Amino acid sequence: MAQHFDPRNAPFDRLSEDEIGVVRDSLDIAYYRPNETILAADAAPESLFIVIKGVVEERDGDDLIALRGPGDMFDSRAVVQGKSSGAFVAREETLCNLLPRAVTLGLINQNPRFASFFYLDIAHKLDTVSREEEGARFTPLLGARVGDLFLHPAIFADATETVAEAGALMREHKTYALFVTDDKGVGIVTRSDLLGAALDDRQALDGPIGPLAHRPVIGIEPDDLVTTALLRMTKHNKRRLAVGRDGQFVGLLEDIDLLSFLAGNSQLVGGRIDRSRRVADLARAARGIEPQIRLLRRQGVKVDLVCEIVSDLNRRLLHKLYALVAPTSVREAGCFFVMGSEGRGEQTFRTDQDNGLILAGEVPEADLDKFRKDVFDALELCGFPPCPGEVMVRNPVWSKTLDAYRDDFAAWLATSDETGMMNIAIFYDSEAAAGDGKLLKAAKQDLIDLMHGERLRLARFARAIDAFPTPIGFFNNLVTSKAEGDALDLKKGGIFPIVHGVRALALEKGLFETSTTARVAKLAELGVFDSQFARELTQALHYLMTIRLDAQIAEKASTSLVKPAELSTMDRDLLRDAFQVVKRLRDMLRRHFNLAMF
Amino acid sequence: MWLGLKRRLQFRLLRDPAFRFLFDPPPPGEYVSIDCETTGLNTRKDDIVTVAAVCIRGNRILTSERFEAMVKPKAKLSPDAIKVHRLREQDVADGRSIDDVLPELLRFIGSRPLVGFYLEFDVAMLNRHVRRLLGIGLPNEQIEVSGIYYERKYAGAPPGTEVDLRFMSILNDLRLPSWAQHDAYSDALMTAMMYLKLEDLKARDVRIPRGKAKPAAFYGGGG
Repeated sequence: MAQHFDPRNAPFDRLSEDEIGVVRDSLDIAYYRPNETILAADAAPESLFIVIKGVVEERDGDDLIALRGPGDMFDSRAVVQGKSSGAFVAREETLCNLLPRAVTLGLINQNPRFASFFYLDIAHKLDTVSREEEGARFTPLLGARVGDLFLHPAIFADATETVAEAGALMREHKTYALFVTDDKGVGIVTRSDLLGAALDDRQALDGPIGPLAHRPVIGIEPDDLVTTALLRMTKHNKRRLAVGRDGQFVGLLEDIDLLSFLAGNSQLVGGRIDRSRRVADLARAARGIEPQIRLLRRQGVKVDLVCEIVSDLNRRLLHKLYALVAPTSVREAGCFFVMGSEGRGEQTFRTDQDNGLILAGEVPEADLDKFRKDVFDALELCGFPPCPGEVMVRNPVWSKTLDAYRDDFAAWLATSDETGMMNIAIFYDSEAAAGDGKLLKAAKQDLIDLMHGERLRLARFARAIDAFPTPIGFFNNLVTSKAEGDALDLKKGGIFPIVHGVRALALEKGLFETSTTARVAKLAELGVFDSQFARELTQALHYLMTIRLDAQIAEKASTSLVKPAELSTMDRDLLRDAFQVVKRLRDMLRRHFNLAMF
Repeated sequence: MWLGLKRRLQFRLLRDPAFRFLFDPPPPGEYVSIDCETTGLNTRKDDIVTVAAVCIRGNRILTSERFEAMVKPKAKLSPDAIKVHRLREQDVADGRSIDDVLPELLRFIGSRPLVGFYLEFDVAMLNRHVRRLLGIGLPNEQIEVSGIYYERKYAGAPPGTEVDLRFMSILNDLRLPSWAQHDAYSDALMTAMMYLKLEDLKARDVRIPRGKAKPAAFYGGGG
């Protein structure tokens, strides 16, 4: 037997003998010359490719995203979705096994363990990450408990209740299944059972639900691992499990919720946020956000898109939270907004609460105090730790009238200390999350007017870009800090100078865009950057954010310190390129704001 | 022209009209890589033990439609041959008669050109039986991978250049993966890969570097 296919490689090791036979009988081999496109972007893949020999580049436009070598497969996402997001190009002479898409999908359908691999997309590993790290990343996900998942409420109905009543009960509790009790014990009736009875069997709507119930009910405990739940569903061929302890059912786990937890489905999380009726619901939905980040990233979604999805979810969360906790007086007069990286939409893993409130006029002090406290408590419940600098609604400095903010701006500019500049930077990045966005816009306009044409103020604001050196040496080598264990700081050395440099230019031009990428695009439009440099700047920022995000996913002790020694050659090269761009931006800003004066 | 004449002659000599498809125009871009394992190296006395063929279409090797058959040889397996392909008498006892296997193989091959390594030997082994069946030898075009390799690597080489055309040397030189050699299917597959790569090098006009002449042997001390 020729060994061009090794069934010991994941995920094929999860296949049965027969299924391996199917794979062997379906494989073809293809040869690709250097630079030949194997799978074009947006193309419908006819097969799953498994590299036998050679190297394949995954590209997005001109960007190299990842490399695939022998044993790696691509593109599991494209096979599942029927469309490829990136382009796959042979870097050298390459041989691949081709497993037809129909066969792959057939195996996904019939073998849940194989399928879960595809959904998890382990194969789509963030290249160059060592196996140990990969394992460490997965532990939190696979180590999750059933109780951490979204569960439907356990609703009970008597066997004598009618189909119509059961339908109403499901609607009321937003669930698709009920527990049915009679002398035989507990069974389950689903919405599709009801529909089937009414439509297919033409059963009367006032007939009892008792005969429709499924038994036995397969149960699972809240402390069981999610993997156990997956196995149990597969083994018993059930789409839902009763979650309970000591014979007491506390909820229902649907397969769709389990799969979305494993495979990622941000729409579901968003829907849950919107449907929340209490802060406790919201807190539970909020817990779904962070796993989405891991999943999206693991599936190879690019960092800017991850940020966009996450900040959209966070905004919806805040919007909902505001609706739930704000007293009428505050809701009528206020604008609730987020600041800093949250405002720029460049937040991935939630860090601190960075939010504020602008009021059109005075509101009763008691209402405002209650709101300050309630927002803080609710956000803490949702997993947002307090901001160490107290830049949050709880602090009266960040929850007051528009006029009071206007007085602050002047004060910030008058004092020459760093705090004033920092407050301007944080506030300039704000974005309304709920309430009247015009209030925030008016405040920002004031801030912009105060800075307009004020060369000295702008220069003082921009000066912070030189606070930390770019970690790149004379010979284009990466400079690490011995004090930090031969690591270099991505945030200080790269991300901050880009974000702040762009922010200073945006403020000078009076832009209302908040995300760095949008600001760069606008500045290029205005001719401040040439289009080539604008593109490089955006790429450099995204690249640095990607490395930081991956470090966060890997749960490293520090998320912005990286050790070049631990990076692949490709990453080191890209890092060097990114820092070169930072250096050019700094040079440009020094000339532009005439920073040499200081 | 000469080939055309020969083919016409063969066509007239073809005994069984059911095999006229061997003379159809070959499907464009399609080839069949073929390999036989035998009881020994004598094309007149020895017999086929296994035969495998795999179709090449464009840049693809259609391993999903491979042909593999074990044949019960009439001749005794020579001890040397057993050492090569590791098939013993009892391993081939379940083989089928060559007369059953051959028509299937011919239908698999069709009129496609044959690709092989030292193809002359495999064709000679097959032709003994093909002649019996059809009255003629295989009319298919024959492509010798070691010939293309020689042309890519040694054409224009100074006289005295050491030429190495061993199967494994070619495979390694082309940086192709190698699997268990002397298994008919594996050999046919590896030959197909050599062919695709060599054709690609030819199309891109890339030559295989000869490198510095290596010492023929290592004269180490001791015995």
